[in-house]
Amino acid sequence: MWGKKQEQNRSERNISGCGSYQSPEVWAKVTGKAVYGIDLEFPGMLYGKILRSPHPHARIKGIDLSAARAIPGVRAVLSAQDVHCNPYGIVVDDEMPLAVDRVRYIGDEVAVVAAVDQKTAERAMAAIKVEYEPLPAVFNPVGALDEQAPQLHEDFPGNVAWERDLIRGDPDTAFREADLVVEDSFSMPSVHPAYLEPIACVAVSEYGNGVTLHTALQSPDLVRDIISRALNLSSSLVRVIGPVMGGGFGGRVFGNLKLYILSSLLSMHTGFPVKMQLTREEEFTVGRPMIAAEINLKMALRRDGTILARESEIITDNGAYSAQAPWVSKTFSERNDSVYRIPNIKTRARLAYTNKVPTAQYRAYGNQSANFACESLMDQAAKRLNMDPLELRLKNCTQAGDTTVHGLEIKSCALTKCLQRAASEIGWDQRKSGRGYGISSGIHANGSLVANKNFRGASARVTLELDGRVNVFTGEQDYGQGAHAAFACIAGRVLGLEPDQITVYSRDSLVTPFSQGALAMRQTTIGGRAVQVAAQELQKAIIQKASEISGEPVSLENGLLKNASGRLIELTEVATGYHHQTSGLNLVGEGKYVPPASDYDETSYGNISVAYSFAAHAAEVEIDKKTGAITVHRIVAVHDSGHIVNLLTSRGQVYGGVTQGLGMGCYEGYLFEGGRVANSSLADYRIPTALDVPAIDQVFIETEDPEGPFGSKGLGEIVMVPVLGAIGNAVADAAGVPVTALPLTAEKVYQAMSGGECSK
Amino acid sequence: MKKQTINFELNGELVEVHTEPSGSLLHLLRGQLGLLGTKEGCGEGECGACTVLLDSQPVNACLIPAAKIEGKQVQTIESLSNGDTIHPLQESFVEKGAVQCGFCTPGMVMSAYALLKVNQDPTPVEVKEAISGNLCRCSGYKQIEEAVLDAAEKIDQGSRED
Repeated sequence: MWGKKQEQNRSERNISGCGSYQSPEVWAKVTGKAVYGIDLEFPGMLYGKILRSPHPHARIKGIDLSAARAIPGVRAVLSAQDVHCNPYGIVVDDEMPLAVDRVRYIGDEVAVVAAVDQKTAERAMAAIKVEYEPLPAVFNPVGALDEQAPQLHEDFPGNVAWERDLIRGDPDTAFREADLVVEDSFSMPSVHPAYLEPIACVAVSEYGNGVTLHTALQSPDLVRDIISRALNLSSSLVRVIGPVMGGGFGGRVFGNLKLYILSSLLSMHTGFPVKMQLTREEEFTVGRPMIAAEINLKMALRRDGTILARESEIITDNGAYSAQAPWVSKTFSERNDSVYRIPNIKTRARLAYTNKVPTAQYRAYGNQSANFACESLMDQAAKRLNMDPLELRLKNCTQAGDTTVHGLEIKSCALTKCLQRAASEIGWDQRKSGRGYGISSGIHANGSLVANKNFRGASARVTLELDGRVNVFTGEQDYGQGAHAAFACIAGRVLGLEPDQITVYSRDSLVTPFSQGALAMRQTTIGGRAVQVAAQELQKAIIQKASEISGEPVSLENGLLKNASGRLIELTEVATGYHHQTSGLNLVGEGKYVPPASDYDETSYGNISVAYSFAAHAAEVEIDKKTGAITVHRIVAVHDSGHIVNLLTSRGQVYGGVTQGLGMGCYEGYLFEGGRVANSSLADYRIPTALDVPAIDQVFIETEDPEGPFGSKGLGEIVMVPVLGAIGNAVADAAGVPVTALPLTAEKVYQAMSGGECSK
Repeated sequence: MKKQTINFELNGELVEVHTEPSGSLLHLLRGQLGLLGTKEGCGEGECGACTVLLDSQPVNACLIPAAKIEGKQVQTIESLSNGDTIHPLQESFVEKGAVQCGFCTPGMVMSAYALLKVNQDPTPVEVKEAISGNLCRCSGYKQIEEAVLDAAEKIDQGSRED
């Protein structure tokens, strides 16, 4: 409790009054009044349903829509022949809204129906006749890269969706000269973000050839651009308005593009609003889970524990279409290289098309699953060197002032302190017998530039309203993680106002500034900095106007305007004065934050982000030796996310992210049978319940980052990174042998323990 | 299927609906009665987002056929607050940071409300058990548990002051 109190005070000192501020939307949520995508209704609204492929790979020989079209209440039935669209995608354009002549996974969209109600839409779907000619399919990504494997896309020969061969430094020499080489193979299945609200949207076609899409997205502006490209619509004629979002975790950066495009097409065909919504089963079978990965990892070290080089051979499973899988594969393949001072790197990574559900991302973008492998190998090396795993990490960990092997410029970093604190909190020096302990380090970028190096920053607009309140317009999205509360705190701190005097608005692409959105942990650091700059611009405008009104210099402090003679001027007076003078304008501060010039070369070497957050997690577990079942007793999470803007919401991020890491570490993962998702319900795909979550202790080590607003850095994704390595290493410690495949089920732990015994 | 007239008590008021008896209570509430506070996260009884009280017992509304509510009392999240008042549980949820995306929140509040109706002084384990049928992906449950315990204390204090 004492520790908690101390942290609270520290945070309150940072930004007065913001220790636990929350945006007013929280009251709508807690009373059941918040309107989510599934709650949306419009007059005349139709319901859309998708007919999906039952085959993992097949040629479409014919589609007969006539019986479906004849059903009363059916307003549109469309197949690929009825629509004129462009191929689209996020990284590569390998998707069409409806399958043209071939289906590539069980669930592939073949036809779409709009009807007056759900039941009629379902009846129409059942009346569509499709003739398929099944084709050989491939489900295993390693098999998919074989020369003889069935080919999925003509534009991607060999089923290679993306690949990377990378050498930094001289890894071959490092491996030759090493005192110790450790090597192991790891595998991680696909995992789903499992946000609690299934994706839903309503598309409303507009007169004049546009469409308004009502759906909750982390990056509505990026989605707007993809939709306009796919539908051949001018981008300003596509408008995205967000209802409240029932969880995202990366899964709603791009959400389900297919659903948005198909509902738009149906609305444009019928002239009525069309609602579409995924069932929970569809979320699992046709949503966009994160890539599965196989990785063979080698590390070279000196006898004293200095890491000399790391080499990895990676195959990631793309599924049938490539959403964000190339970017996720890239982060998976390299981010952990920058946690430690590793001078030489060799990476061969390939992303393979298979006849399975297309993949994308999940909170931390693959950094967390790679952490499981990289940190296991750290412990294996420590064991071979007879060194304390903590000491090995402390010897190698990245420091402020470093430029890492991939060119990341580390301006603030408390990783050493995080590791030391995590160790002391878990009781590293008094480890109990019969328990397993593990520790792990993580780094995560704040607003990676890799997606678009010409668009690195953010912008915001802050207005003074006639009643003296302030509005912040931003394209950065809040879905419960507290971005809007943070922005209110930041703008309030600049203007000397309480956060509840500030309204933050972000959910309409027609009104709010264009933004990359809630991805790459950029909201507070980059979006928040733009809000800070815009608020400073407004401050200048207010002071200038007030000086004009009073005819002498004016200062603005703690929300109070004073002229030289000490007279107070009300903000309302300034706002109204300007409003009258200009016949209706408000005082506005527009601000941009363009991070310092940074670049990367064709190998992606360079400073890809403005700041880097760090963390160390430690875990204490116990294994039932008879069954292999794991009990996680405690997790300690120590974070360097710079100054903490809002302690209450920050704590929520850590609790939630660590719990998601626990789920991914211990139970979660896709199971397939012949390309079909075998665990497509929340009963079979188990996520943590209240009874599963162990004690979670958290500590913030507050560094002062030169780039983030008031020295703060991102938190929302790194919370899920080191927890995987920490649990994996604690289980290995308790089992006496590493378990190298996620999730760490009792069966796998038991097998590893028995195998270990046999080999002795 | 043929529609049927069903009478029940909804949030303290008698209502009569004409509906399909095999349809779910969840769809009756959300569709026909326009009470959208009760959420649908899976429709299979796995997530708890649709938790309501049926004769004071927390149930998944998606698993209850409309025919089963004849003559019974149904209580939803909408009953806990009006424009002027808010239940101490809801206040504690906000104060403790127990609400992130908020999608699980109405169901979570109703499970906690059902607990506090029969157990005014729950232990942390009893709170965990009471909300174990309500999935939350955002919070790791910790601040929710804090909120329920905090509300129990508030209600206890309130009743002593009365």
